Amino acid sequence: MTMSSSSSLAEVAVVVASALNDAGIDVVLTGGACATFYSGGTYLSNDLDFIVRRGGTRRTLDQAMLRVGFQRDGDRYVHPGTIFFVEFPRGPLAIGDDLKITPVVLHLAGGTVAALSATDACRDRLAAFFHWSDRQSLSVAVAIARKQSVEMSTIQDWSQKEGFVASFQEFARAVQGP
Amino acid sequence: MVMNSSPFGGEARTRTLVALGLLGQSYPRELARLLAAPVSGVQAALRGLERDGLVAGRLIGRTRTYQLEPRYFALKELQPYLARLSAADPDLTAAVEGLRRRPRRSGKPL
Repeated sequence: MTMSSSSSLAEVAVVVASALNDAGIDVVLTGGACATFYSGGTYLSNDLDFIVRRGGTRRTLDQAMLRVGFQRDGDRYVHPGTIFFVEFPRGPLAIGDDLKITPVVLHLAGGTVAALSATDACRDRLAAFFHWSDRQSLSVAVAIARKQSVEMSTIQDWSQKEGFVASFQEFARAVQGP
Repeated sequence: MVMNSSPFGGEARTRTLVALGLLGQSYPRELARLLAAPVSGVQAALRGLERDGLVAGRLIGRTRTYQLEPRYFALKELQPYLARLSAADPDLTAAVEGLRRRPRRSGKPL
């Protein structure tokens, strides 16, 4: 698959994940891109955040990304043919202090990408709502929970552990709707 | 100034992190004043700490403010460690204690 200005976020995710896997770099897609896929377009992200779990150094990342036309510009990788850019936030793969994150395989645009599950993408957005009172993140979390099958009990337990019971209740009410 | 160990990679990084642990939230110019360090050095330290996921910055008006990243996976362990480090940095704790941060009604004379 080649990239062009009409490539979607999903297509770019597949191309990049595939190039990284070919180079022996184990990555998991997190952040706004997952929210975009699971929320059915309620939220539109331009960036792809991959957490490197194994095999990634600055040099190997530069080489793998260059093979698909991305060049490093500071901390991000940009491509002249697409608006989407790629970053590698420092790990570990965690949501709050929960390190037991099990990625899923997302089937996108004719390929696959290891990514956060819908439940974890929902928790990831909720973390921003809990800690920053970011209501955009709340609405995205609600959209994910409405469109996907998420484990509400897992989210509730985690919210309680993080100390945000009232915020979880607001989220749960919003998911149920008026 | 006491020359202490710098477990977070350098004196500027460590003291910036310790100061944020004490203050909760701050901005580069305030941190530079407290640490008696150049603003550019503090900004570089903050950028590095942000990349490492230890601090989070956001724009409020025209000022970029920073705090410990509340979503950092080891925050619960980090906070008491920073408190312990602050106890070993009397210059910094004295500077922080000398800072008035509580609200002051507008119009009230200084």
